[in-house]
Amino acid sequence: MSLLTAVRNDMCYCPGCSHGLVLEQLAQAIARLALPPPRVCLVSDIGCIGTADRYFTCHTFHGLHGRSFTYAEGIQRVRPDVLTIVLVGDGGCGIGTAHLVHAARRGVPIKVIVCNNFNFGMTGGQHSPTTPADALTPTTPAGFHERPFDIAETARISGASFVARASAYDAGLPGLLERGLRAPGFALLEVWELCSAYFVQSNKLTPARLNELAARGGMPFGVLAEPPAGDARPAAPSSPADTGKAASDETVPQPRGPKLPWPGRREITLAGSAGQHIRTAVGALGEIAVACGLHAAEHDDYPITVRKGHSISNLVVDARPILFAGVEAPALVIIMSADGAARVGDLSHLPSSSQVIVASDLPPPATPATVHVVDLDAFARAATRAGVALALLAYGVVRAGWVESEALCAAADAVLSGRHRESNLSALRAGVAAAAAQSPACAASTAGGRHDP
Amino acid sequence: MREFITGNQAAVRGAIRAGCDYFAGYPITPASSILTEFVREFSNGSGIAVQTEDEIAAIGQCIGAAMAGARALTATSGPGMSLYSENIGLAQMGEVPLVIIDCQRLPPATGGATATGEGDVVFARHVTAGGFPLPVLAASDAASVYRLTYRAFDIAERLRTPVIVLSSKDIALTRQTVNLDLVELAPLTARRRHAGERTFRPYAVDRPADVPAFEPIGGATRVRFTGSIHDEDGLLTIDRARIARKLTHLREKVVANAALIEDVDADLDEKADTLIVSYGTADGAARDAVRRLRAAGEHISHLTLYSLWPIPEKALAAAAGGRMRRVIVPELNIGLYADELRRVVRGAAVESVVRYDGGLISPQALIEHFRDRNAEAVR
Ligand code: SF4
Ligand SMILES: [Mg+2]
Repeated sequence: MSLLTAVRNDMCYCPGCSHGLVLEQLAQAIARLALPPPRVCLVSDIGCIGTADRYFTCHTFHGLHGRSFTYAEGIQRVRPDVLTIVLVGDGGCGIGTAHLVHAARRGVPIKVIVCNNFNFGMTGGQHSPTTPADALTPTTPAGFHERPFDIAETARISGASFVARASAYDAGLPGLLERGLRAPGFALLEVWELCSAYFVQSNKLTPARLNELAARGGMPFGVLAEPPAGDARPAAPSSPADTGKAASDETVPQPRGPKLPWPGRREITLAGSAGQHIRTAVGALGEIAVACGLHAAEHDDYPITVRKGHSISNLVVDARPILFAGVEAPALVIIMSADGAARVGDLSHLPSSSQVIVASDLPPPATPATVHVVDLDAFARAATRAGVALALLAYGVVRAGWVESEALCAAADAVLSGRHRESNLSALRAGVAAAAAQSPACAASTAGGRHDP
Repeated sequence: MREFITGNQAAVRGAIRAGCDYFAGYPITPASSILTEFVREFSNGSGIAVQTEDEIAAIGQCIGAAMAGARALTATSGPGMSLYSENIGLAQMGEVPLVIIDCQRLPPATGGATATGEGDVVFARHVTAGGFPLPVLAASDAASVYRLTYRAFDIAERLRTPVIVLSSKDIALTRQTVNLDLVELAPLTARRRHAGERTFRPYAVDRPADVPAFEPIGGATRVRFTGSIHDEDGLLTIDRARIARKLTHLREKVVANAALIEDVDADLDEKADTLIVSYGTADGAARDAVRRLRAAGEHISHLTLYSLWPIPEKALAAAAGGRMRRVIVPELNIGLYADELRRVVRGAAVESVVRYDGGLISPQALIEHFRDRNAEAVR
């Protein structure tokens, strides 16, 4: 049973155009596969050939110029049992080259029929990427002087499993169409055609001259790539594996911690450099807070290259739900590096109730807040280099009197999990110990004439 | 269960809760973690997640997948929205149920990848040629991104249209405390399928505001899909009556169903003569400012917009009518939505509070603006 609703001469194409001929042969090749029409989907691109969908009785999809490959891939991945055929012109292969190349590279099992007539028929015969050398078109009045785009070869080197090129007038075309449709993986058949309205008029092209053009242009007709016999090329994974598992929006239950008393909304800014584990530290404290009944919001500030430059992480913790997740006037600012200090900038607006902890190798900031100078090396000895940020955070929140040492340690012990549990725990304990014991190793000094409480 | 998750994680959870089983995307800050989360979520075979060669392929695959019956989602940022433009038009014309998340960043162009900005609020509505209405929702935090992504799927299915959910860098990447179990979600409406002996006409509707029945490509019923102007059979048409019928339908199905899309939260004080209208990241600051002002004895009303398009005119009229003198609109752009509100708010002065340097509008800034009774409306 033919999938076509019209014969060649009743189609919309100009007399002498190759499209009708190729569509009839394509429909016959599909019919030889003996698939029921609902198992076939024709995705047509744009241009004269793009109008072909209306003549087919299978599923049809007519989309945007050059994007037919992408729709076909979406359909194919959802319905791998449906033979998905792309019908595209030379223009579509030009504007959609990236999709063609990457669909071939991914081995998406779509079957691409390219109707290459060397020009844009629908828009008036302008040159296309495949226009042959010296050809005359309205946009190449002195002849085409660019290198023509070799669609079939591009598909081949991109990994297509089956690639062939033929003339629309080649007696072997029906066989090639069928082989292309039956080939596993990504298949492409480039068919050279005549556009009787434009290209033929200016370039005296005939069916016989198509063969000469192929020979002269170094683009031979025939099969360019074929899957080895008996070796079905693995197609791109498409359908969801039938595991019977439905995706779920449930997460792994997270450990709960003991209730952590907290004085109210507190904004914390931890400012350092990439590699100082700033975001990890703030994330860990946030997780502890949330698991222990508090509310938290963390937002980060870092340049586009995450391994270089400043890294700032802001954490808001409150016993009430947090409406504004940003930071207005942090009650605790920890500055671990010059990058961080530069990004945080002026701290003269901080209220005097705020605390600033600053690494001893940095100039103490001018601020009405209380400034503690700390020796990062001493913290590193107690907490390892990677743990300094978290140790400083624990040090800061305990020193500020927002949370009891024991309560914080117990909460962390109950909540922290995963690969970094032990290192995070020991960093946090080191910070707590430094705060509680005022250990000489982490001795705090004062700046700005203010004294530690 | 109380969790500490980003807006992007919440978006993925909301999508999966709504039955999303196809995701295609191209990496872009601050939307990338939606892609990586989906790859992880679907690694058990419960759905398909694809990293494509570009944004055009991402939305193209989603359109193909949706028409084959998947519940499809794609996510990007402003630059990617620009590349989605033509395909969003295709999804409108072809009546594709499709959800798009735009994690906005500082615009225009490449702008600031890691800087915040919410400048796509008008662009989202007019992202494609033709001006046909497009539902646009706007999240303000992780919990609302979860709820709105879920709702977007319902709207997309019921109206067979692309639906855009706006997020932004400071929602997408900010980790917040949420309890998704407590987020109220209405049950999803089942897809209207073709029934009866009659031949399936893929775009047939009885009245302009009706929505055509959906049959998937690959199913037993033959489907014709096209982005060209078409009749109810999905065949290209040059018949003026059919063209008018189709395009009137594209407008009417959204306009007549505006109530289905409208999503606001009104927190009104009868004695107030000032209303804050907020959406997106500025909404949290507005809530905080309102709480503090009321604690100080002030009267102020607040309207949160979770749907921006169609403009929730009913809710605005109810909140901004009567004795209201001032409508304050904080935005992380040059005052785009305030301009739109000036067309619909009568009687009260619409005052813009804007910030577009990559930082957030603080509650304090809003309080100061409120207190400055003589504040001249910015613009
Ligand atoms: S313009 Fe060219 S390609 Fe188009 S129908 Fe006419 S002959 Fe065929
Ligand atoms: Mg052509």
